[in-house]
Amino acid sequence: MPKKTAQPAEYVLEVEDLVVEYGRRRILDGISMNVRAGEIMVIMGGSGSGKSTLLRHLLGLEVPAGGTVRMLGRDVSEMTNTEMDDLRQHVGVSFQSGALFTSMSVGENVALPLRERQNLDDNTIRIMTRLKLELVSLAGFENLMPSQLSGGMIKRAAFARAIVMDPKLVFFDEPSAGLDPVVSAELDELIIKLRDALGTTIIVVTHELESAFRIADRITVLDHGRVLVTDTVDAVRNCQDQRVQDLLNRTPREMKIDADDYLRRLTEEEPEYVD
Amino acid sequence: MSKCEVQDQAGFALVVVEGEVDMSWSNDLRQAILGPLNAGRPCMVDLSAVAYIDSSGIAALVEGYQKAKGAGTFFGLVAVSDAVRSVLELARLDQVFPMYENLEQAEASLS
Amino acid sequence: MAAQTLSRMVSRVSRDMLRGVSDFGYLIALLGESFYWPVFGPRRKQPVRIEAVFTQMMQIGVEAIPILAVLTMAVGIMLAIQLVNTLELFGVESQVVLAVAKAMTREFGALMTAILLAGRSGSALAARIGSMVVSQEIEALRVMGIDPVRYLVVPAVIAFAIMTPALVVLADAMGIIGGGLFSTGPLNMTMETYIRTSIEVLTVGDVMQGLSKGLVFGILIALVGCSAGFSVRGGAEGVGRATTRAVVLSLTYVIIVDMMFTWFMNV
Repeated sequence: MPKKTAQPAEYVLEVEDLVVEYGRRRILDGISMNVRAGEIMVIMGGSGSGKSTLLRHLLGLEVPAGGTVRMLGRDVSEMTNTEMDDLRQHVGVSFQSGALFTSMSVGENVALPLRERQNLDDNTIRIMTRLKLELVSLAGFENLMPSQLSGGMIKRAAFARAIVMDPKLVFFDEPSAGLDPVVSAELDELIIKLRDALGTTIIVVTHELESAFRIADRITVLDHGRVLVTDTVDAVRNCQDQRVQDLLNRTPREMKIDADDYLRRLTEEEPEYVD
Repeated sequence: MSKCEVQDQAGFALVVVEGEVDMSWSNDLRQAILGPLNAGRPCMVDLSAVAYIDSSGIAALVEGYQKAKGAGTFFGLVAVSDAVRSVLELARLDQVFPMYENLEQAEASLS
Repeated sequence: MAAQTLSRMVSRVSRDMLRGVSDFGYLIALLGESFYWPVFGPRRKQPVRIEAVFTQMMQIGVEAIPILAVLTMAVGIMLAIQLVNTLELFGVESQVVLAVAKAMTREFGALMTAILLAGRSGSALAARIGSMVVSQEIEALRVMGIDPVRYLVVPAVIAFAIMTPALVVLADAMGIIGGGLFSTGPLNMTMETYIRTSIEVLTVGDVMQGLSKGLVFGILIALVGCSAGFSVRGGAEGVGRATTRAVVLSLTYVIIVDMMFTWFMNV
C-alpha cells in the first residue's frame, strides 16, 4: 500500500534538540525528530504535552531558545524573511480552527495563496481552486462564506487551502478534533490518498488515537515536552514504556506529590509578572 | 529538461510535454494547448515523458478540453505516464479526458 | 505597606512607559515597512495590490463623506456664532468671514476629519486585524508566505494617506458653508459674496497647512489602528480593548502632533 515511502535518506523535516522556554517554564525539552519524504508522521500527545508549541516552532512562527529546525533541507533560523516566504510556497498548513478568512468566500480563501504569490491566469486559478474543492467534497460551496459552513466543512475548506499549491510538506493540526466519526474517517482517507497520489509528506498533530493509528507511518509520542518514542505504528502499540501505555490506554496520570513543592505552589505569592 | 513543444501532425496538433510541469511554467503549456484549439485545430497532448505534474498543469489540460468541447473540435491525452495518471485519478479526471495508449490509437479515433 | 504600594505604582508606571516606548517603536517600524513594500514588494513577488487600496479608499473615504459633511458644517456654524458674538464687541464682525475661513482650513478641517476617521476607520482597522489575530488568520497568512504587513497594513496606510487630505478639502468647504449659513444674516451678505470673500482671503499656505496635517494625521491613524490590532491578545475581549486603545491613542497622537504642527508653522 505505501507506494512512495521508501526514500529513507531524504528528510523533509529535521528537528534537533529543540528547546522552548516561556519565562521560567521549559515547554519543550530537547526535541529531536526526523520526517522522511512521502511519510505520514503523526505527532501525538495529550493536552499540555507541548505538541501545539512544537507545531508553532516547526512552522517557524516562533523562535526557539535552542536547537534547530531544518525544513526541506534549509535551517529555518538562518533564513531571511524573503527566503522563508518563498520556502513556504512548498509548505501547506491546515489549522485546528481552520483559520479561514472570514471576510472571503470559500473559493476566495482557497485561491488566496495562488492569487497572492503566483502569477497565474484567472482561468487556471479558478480550475485549480475547484479541483481542490472537488477533492475535499466541497464542490458547489465555493461562494459560501465561512460563517455559513459547518465545523466539518470548515476543516475541509482549510484542508483545500492548505494543499492548493501542491505543497511538498503539509501540516494538519487536529484534523479530526470535534468532527463526527464519519467525517473524520473521510479526512483520514483523504490524507492517505494525497500521500499516495502525490507523494506529499504529511505531518499530523493530534490527540486522537484511532485517527493516528489509521493514517500514520510513524508516530512520535510527546509527553511533558519530551519525545517518549518515535516509531512505526506497531512498535508504538507494543512499546513497553509505562507512560506510552498510559497514553494509549487513556489511564489518568499518576500524580506523585512532592509535599514541599506542593505546599509552596499553594502558598507562594504571585511574582510581579512582566511580559 | 522540462519543456513542451507543438508538433504539426496530419489533421491535428500534438503537444509533446517533458519533465516536471509546475506553476513556474505551466502557463507555457496552457498557451501551447490553447493555441491550436483557438485556431479550431484538434489537439493531442503527449504526456509519456512527464515525471510530475501539479494542479496548475492539470488545470491547463482541463481548460484545453473545455475549450475544445466549446469549439466543437477534439482534445485528448496520449500515452499518459504513471505520474500523471495517479494525479488524474486523484482528481477523478481519468473518467473525463479521452485517453489513448499511443498516437496510432488517437489518430484512429479522430477519423 | 505604603512603601510597597508606592514601589508597585512606580513599577507599574515604568512598565507602562516602557510599553509606550516599544509601541511607538513599532509604529516607526510599520511606517518604514509602508515605504518598503510598495518599492521592494514586486521584487519579492509580493506586490501591494491596487484593488486592496481602492477597497480601503472606499471604506475610509467615500463612505465617510455624508457624516463628515454634517459634522464640519455644524462646526462652521458654531465657529460663526461664537466669532460674530466676540468680534461684535470690537465692532469688527465683518472679519468673521476671514476668521472662519482661516480657522477651518488651517485647523478644524483637518482636526474634524482626523477625529471622524479615528473613531470610524482607525477603530475598524484595529478590530479587523485584531479579530484576525484571534482567529489565527494572521498566522495563516504568515504560513502561506504572505506578509501580513504587506497584505493588510500597507494598503490601509496608502488609502489613509490619499483619502484624508481629500476629505480635509471637503471638510474645509463644508465648514465655510456652515459659517456662511449663520453669518450671512448678521453680516447682511448673500451666500455668494460670503463664499467669494472667503476664497479671496484664503492663501495657498492656509489650505496647504490643513492638507499636510491631514496627510500626517491619516497615516498616524492607520498605523495606530494596525498596531493596536496586531497587539491583541486573548480573545474577543482583547479585540474590544484594542479598538478602544486605537481610538484613544490615535486621538492623543493627532492632537499632540497638531499642536506641534501649529506651533512650528505659526509661531
